[in-house]
Amino acid sequence: MSFLLAGVFSCTTEDLNPALDQNKEANGGITNVDNLYAVIKGAYSRMTGSGYYGRDLIVTNEVRTDNCFSNGNSGRFTTQAGFAYSNTTGFFWDDAYRVIESANLIINTDLSQLEGDQEYGLHLQGQAYAIRALAHFDLLKQYGQKHVTGGVTPGGIPYVTTYLSNQSTQEELFPPRNTIEEVRVKLFEDLEMAFNLMEDTGDTNFFSKYAAKALEARVAVYFEMWDTAVDAAEEVIDNGGYAIVPAENYVASFESDGGSNIIFELEFNSTDNLGGNSLGYIYRTTGGGSYGDVQVIDEVADIFEDTDVRGLFDGTNGILGYEGDMLRNIGKYPDNQGYDNVPLLRYEELILNYAEALLNTGGDALTQLNKIPANRGASLYAEATIENILMERRKELMFEGFRFEDLVRTGNDIVKYSIQQNFTETIPYGDSRLAWAIPLAEMDANSSMIQNKGY
Amino acid sequence: MKAKLAWMLTPLLVLCMSFSFGQEKTVSGNVTDQNGLPLPGVSIMVVGTSNGTQTDFDGNYTISASQGQMLRFSYIGQKTVERTIGASSTINVEMEDDAQALEEVVVMGYSTKSKADVTGSTVQLDSEQIEQIPVATVDQALQGKVAGLSITGDSGTPGSTTDIRIRGISSITAGNDPLYVIDGVPMANPNLSPAESGSSLSALSSINSNNIESITVLKDASATAAYGARGANGVIVITTKGGKAGKTKFNFNSYFGFANDAIDGPTPLTGAEREMLFYEAVLNSFGEDYGLSNIEEAGEFARANTSYGADYQAWRDAGSPETNWADLITNKNAVIREYNFSATGGDETSNFYTSLGYFEQEATVIGSEFDRISGSLNFSKDLSDRFTFTSNNSASYSHQDGVLENSAYFSSPRAVKFFMPATDQAYNPDGSINVLGTSLPNPLWIAQEDIDDSKTTRIISNNAVTWDTPIENLSFTSRANIDYIVYNYKRYRNPVRGDGDSSNGYGWQANRNYVTYVFQNSLDYSFNLGESHNFDVKLLQEWQKNRSYYLEADADNFSDTGLTNLNSAGNPTTANSTYFDWSVASYLGVINYSAFDSRYVLNGTYRREGSSRFAQNNRWGNFWSVGAAWNVNRESFMAGAEFINNLKLRASYGVTGNAAISLNSYQALLDFDSDYNGEGASYPGSFGNNDLSWETSNTLDLGIDFGLFQNRISGSFAYYNRESKDLLLDVPLSLTTGFADQTRNIGRMENKGFEAEINFDIVRSNDFNLSIGGNIATNENEVLELAKDLNGEEINISTTTDRVESGHPVYAWYMPTWAGVNPETGNEEWYVNGVDGETTTNFNAAERVFQGGSALPKITSGMNIHIDVKGFFVDASGYYAGGHKVYEGWHRYTQGTDLYPTALYQGYNTLLDRWQKPGDEARFGKFEYVGRPWQRHSKFLYDGDYFRLKNLTVGYNFNSKFTEMMKIDGLRLFVRGTNLFTWVKDDNLKYDPENIDLSGLSDGTNRGETVLTTPPVRSVVFGVNLNF
Repeated sequence: MSFLLAGVFSCTTEDLNPALDQNKEANGGITNVDNLYAVIKGAYSRMTGSGYYGRDLIVTNEVRTDNCFSNGNSGRFTTQAGFAYSNTTGFFWDDAYRVIESANLIINTDLSQLEGDQEYGLHLQGQAYAIRALAHFDLLKQYGQKHVTGGVTPGGIPYVTTYLSNQSTQEELFPPRNTIEEVRVKLFEDLEMAFNLMEDTGDTNFFSKYAAKALEARVAVYFEMWDTAVDAAEEVIDNGGYAIVPAENYVASFESDGGSNIIFELEFNSTDNLGGNSLGYIYRTTGGGSYGDVQVIDEVADIFEDTDVRGLFDGTNGILGYEGDMLRNIGKYPDNQGYDNVPLLRYEELILNYAEALLNTGGDALTQLNKIPANRGASLYAEATIENILMERRKELMFEGFRFEDLVRTGNDIVKYSIQQNFTETIPYGDSRLAWAIPLAEMDANSSMIQNKGY
Repeated sequence: MKAKLAWMLTPLLVLCMSFSFGQEKTVSGNVTDQNGLPLPGVSIMVVGTSNGTQTDFDGNYTISASQGQMLRFSYIGQKTVERTIGASSTINVEMEDDAQALEEVVVMGYSTKSKADVTGSTVQLDSEQIEQIPVATVDQALQGKVAGLSITGDSGTPGSTTDIRIRGISSITAGNDPLYVIDGVPMANPNLSPAESGSSLSALSSINSNNIESITVLKDASATAAYGARGANGVIVITTKGGKAGKTKFNFNSYFGFANDAIDGPTPLTGAEREMLFYEAVLNSFGEDYGLSNIEEAGEFARANTSYGADYQAWRDAGSPETNWADLITNKNAVIREYNFSATGGDETSNFYTSLGYFEQEATVIGSEFDRISGSLNFSKDLSDRFTFTSNNSASYSHQDGVLENSAYFSSPRAVKFFMPATDQAYNPDGSINVLGTSLPNPLWIAQEDIDDSKTTRIISNNAVTWDTPIENLSFTSRANIDYIVYNYKRYRNPVRGDGDSSNGYGWQANRNYVTYVFQNSLDYSFNLGESHNFDVKLLQEWQKNRSYYLEADADNFSDTGLTNLNSAGNPTTANSTYFDWSVASYLGVINYSAFDSRYVLNGTYRREGSSRFAQNNRWGNFWSVGAAWNVNRESFMAGAEFINNLKLRASYGVTGNAAISLNSYQALLDFDSDYNGEGASYPGSFGNNDLSWETSNTLDLGIDFGLFQNRISGSFAYYNRESKDLLLDVPLSLTTGFADQTRNIGRMENKGFEAEINFDIVRSNDFNLSIGGNIATNENEVLELAKDLNGEEINISTTTDRVESGHPVYAWYMPTWAGVNPETGNEEWYVNGVDGETTTNFNAAERVFQGGSALPKITSGMNIHIDVKGFFVDASGYYAGGHKVYEGWHRYTQGTDLYPTALYQGYNTLLDRWQKPGDEARFGKFEYVGRPWQRHSKFLYDGDYFRLKNLTVGYNFNSKFTEMMKIDGLRLFVRGTNLFTWVKDDNLKYDPENIDLSGLSDGTNRGETVLTTPPVRSVVFGVNLNF
């Protein structure tokens, strides 16, 4: 009858403390620089989610272009491809702000209070600045009103720089939108901090010094700050030690991790992957076993020369291929379970950004532009024009999620040219559908938020 | 229960035992009640021995005893009679009604009360209403029997969980499940399955309903306040069968039968219809551009120029064979059977009940079944004059062969039923399964190869010692309960076709240990101040702790087919373990005062409870109730009104609580279940809220109970009003915080309604009885207040189909309003303002508005009828629910006028009512060669009203001549039909009206929607119940 007494003395408040065996309290849980390393990995892990760089951000910006469409095989991406989304069609708004939150936790941590290597701590904080800039930049491009005629103001997105918790004020918890200009200024501040704080580690699975610079070049091109873009690109070209992958290795480079042309990529492997929600699974059916909704428009095969290693698979080289009569991306993200790394910054893109900036500053754009076809088995361009640069970007970066923004930021319409495209008529530049709706959940929670035009 | 109490007094009476011994002889006689009617089942004991018997159907008995020994005759509701055996061998006894004992006893979990002393709303079902009902989980037996209790099932897969709601929904985002109390101990009965994509498994399925003596549903505060924090959603009190002293009695019961889907569901298009609609889509979309003027031309064009058309060409070439996938995935006449064997007996100081049971149910879908073997031993022993020991033990092993369900997974047989084209072939020409040639994995192959196995072992041991202290009427009880669940899960996906084909096979195994300890110490004291003022006091202290261990691993790339354990997988992909615990500490005081023969009853309950789910400063909550009852019929001024047997006015008010939120959610936490670059990673996992505390519900309950004309008409009326405050609400945060919501104590919600129960005993006689009864309950739910943001704007919670906003029911339907199909253009249109007037073909331009109501029924009702004639009997019961709306899930794929039903998947034949030419009035617009996005609107929102004949039993109780001849105590044969008939109000609702996912997934999707899971079954079983 020992249990007679077992309960009598045990009902104190402390006895009711729940076990905390697999979590740490957020307040006081970070005491060492190594703890920050765990948190920064958490930020990268959040970027790898299928809602963000794991799939949706990339695919959404391919199916809304002249590259791809959704055949609806599993019902995925038809809404996006048809420009039929609304404020309840999920997109990466929440995913991006989760990444930002992780970054802010690191940035807001007072390094001097932590044990461990302070230098390394600064390098980690530098990565956090770069991650924060990247996520805000992605949000601005997809949700901002820069390319919407008569868009709402402020037309930016909230630029969040503090780690928000249950100790935060109401004003911090319900932020309004920033202007596009405010976002632009903060992006460059963050990228500057990132470049200054980081080391050049050469580890391409993480942001490093020149990755921040390469991102800065991309952002500068977006804002048409050509001199800044030239400077940033040259900094990377001169000091980064990267190289364009040659034609014979091009296709193989997507099957392996890292490489001389990779500035920064997100890491996936056989135990950490998205399986059925991965890029490979949506780009191909692999004999009927995968979703395979995202198909390539038939006419795309015609833009490549026969000798171009990026064109139709010829037995040794090629990114395009057929499954039955369906044209497919077979070369990029080749593993259908998503074992492949997803490159976010490739040296080839930097060169094309450099070429575009040179074109606009009167420099030798043609030399830079032709570096790409020269390494792809394709004919060289006789002239550097914005059309040629966009065409080369399309060929080089196809299926990697650049095409939609390249069209929009250069003032082009999204042209309906194939019966396969899911939208019925050309989407003119300035159309409100070029920006996504702020999610209904955000509008419900935050009355300081202004909805985008047209939603 | 009363009988058991009577036996507990026996030790005292033993002292009076007579010690005269004589020659053993056979004594026989007849026992009647005070009206001279024979009493069957009267217990007869030779005092001081373990020798006993019972009277037969005609009230006769025989027993061996010696002259001078004493026979004790006892029977529930009758005063116990003792007779000393004299010279005569015949002792006839006329028993007298025991006014006190005749009153029904209501089991309240921690305590037992006479019905007159109950001040709140409770409904008690006895074992006859529970046993031999062909369901795997006992909660399913409650539907229609308790006013105000509604049940929907996520799935009819045997063993899966149900959504039970008592008197509406009390919480918006915290749990709404009632608390289960088994033999006086609060129990957790969670969903054990780790797989959201697989069948759920209710821990309750491990309990054999044949071992249950009674189930009491406690609805109001005076009854539930004793359970304090966890009482707000109602309490279901289960009491298991105890031993009955006397000669050991055996019971064997069994049934065997067959089950089919209660409702077939929508009818898929035939291949020919599907083909025709596809050509129509081609004609409508390309007719003008390509000069196609009719279906034939469109067909030719499509077959020549599109890949989908080419598929139809191939189908034509094969001779247009039709496949009925609905038939193929159905397990027709699924076997359902149960065997139970039990024994009960005892002597002066001890008694026991023991049982062994086996239950087996095949699902109505191929490749799924459930079986359970269970045993129990309930034992009670008087250790001495003052100490009584009771031990209730049960153990069971259940196995659920589940299926992939809960969504429209391609390998789920229920999804295949509605998604696989009728043009795909199930078999190859040589008769083998067509494994690779179907557009979705062939369910015949999946059922044969893939594994979804759950194995559960559950042991419950409830042990108590009661000490009758030297102080009169003061007893002390100490109780320890251990509930131990070991759960094993195994999933395997074959490498050839289906979910494992892209990774060369996939395996997942999980193990869960779920342990709950409860320790209780309680004092019971009864005293009176003068004869007319009786007090019962109970003080109780309780400590409950739950520990949950979980270990899982998964892997792919299996080395060989036929080997399905992780051992043969080449690439381990996950190793994961979790540990959680929670604990609850409570102090309880209950006082019951009844005055003047229970004419006036007052009771009060106070419980102080601490929960591990809240921060230290907010851990403890105080819950209480007061109740009063006036048994008017016991007043002297009612003495003349003899036709009134019972008239009670009752009222109760109290505060109960709810803490059903995730563990550790008050703490702001870093989570570590993430990884990157081959290493572990961490991230801010929960926002936390140090102010988090109890959600409380204030419930008012008013009622009248009555019984007229010898209780030939009896029933009750009740009104309730429950206001939930400081709701544990997941208040949406701006997503810019990185979190979707924060749990806060904010907001108010109200549930109110009326309940009525009535029963007519139309004919009462020896060999003919007829009674009709029923209950009806209303529920009106309204959100009164929600959180506000810093601008003072209310923060609403929305999904694509529903919304939480003050002034409306919780999760009220909210979506664009369908305006019909334009007869001129064939386009589907919606009202721009959501109500009337201007229409639009642009779905995104249509305003979303409240559609009236939610998925929760406003009216529920149960009906029953009983007839018996000379041993033959008929029992029927039905259930009605109405005033709610349900939404059709998956209509984008199955009810779209585009490529989904005609080229990619499969549609329903409802689509044939479509627009074809100007002037057509049709439910569906013109078919087009497009894939439309998800557009959820009022066209697919249906009235949920339905009536279902839950049970129809026809049987025969063999008479005493036969049973005596066979030397048995009783024999019953019966045929029982379950869900034999269903009426659904809305013709457009083709799915089973109970196959609704009331809670939805964690993000609210599917809430209130029809789901692609196994529907409830229509079964017919043949049963036997033998007592000997």
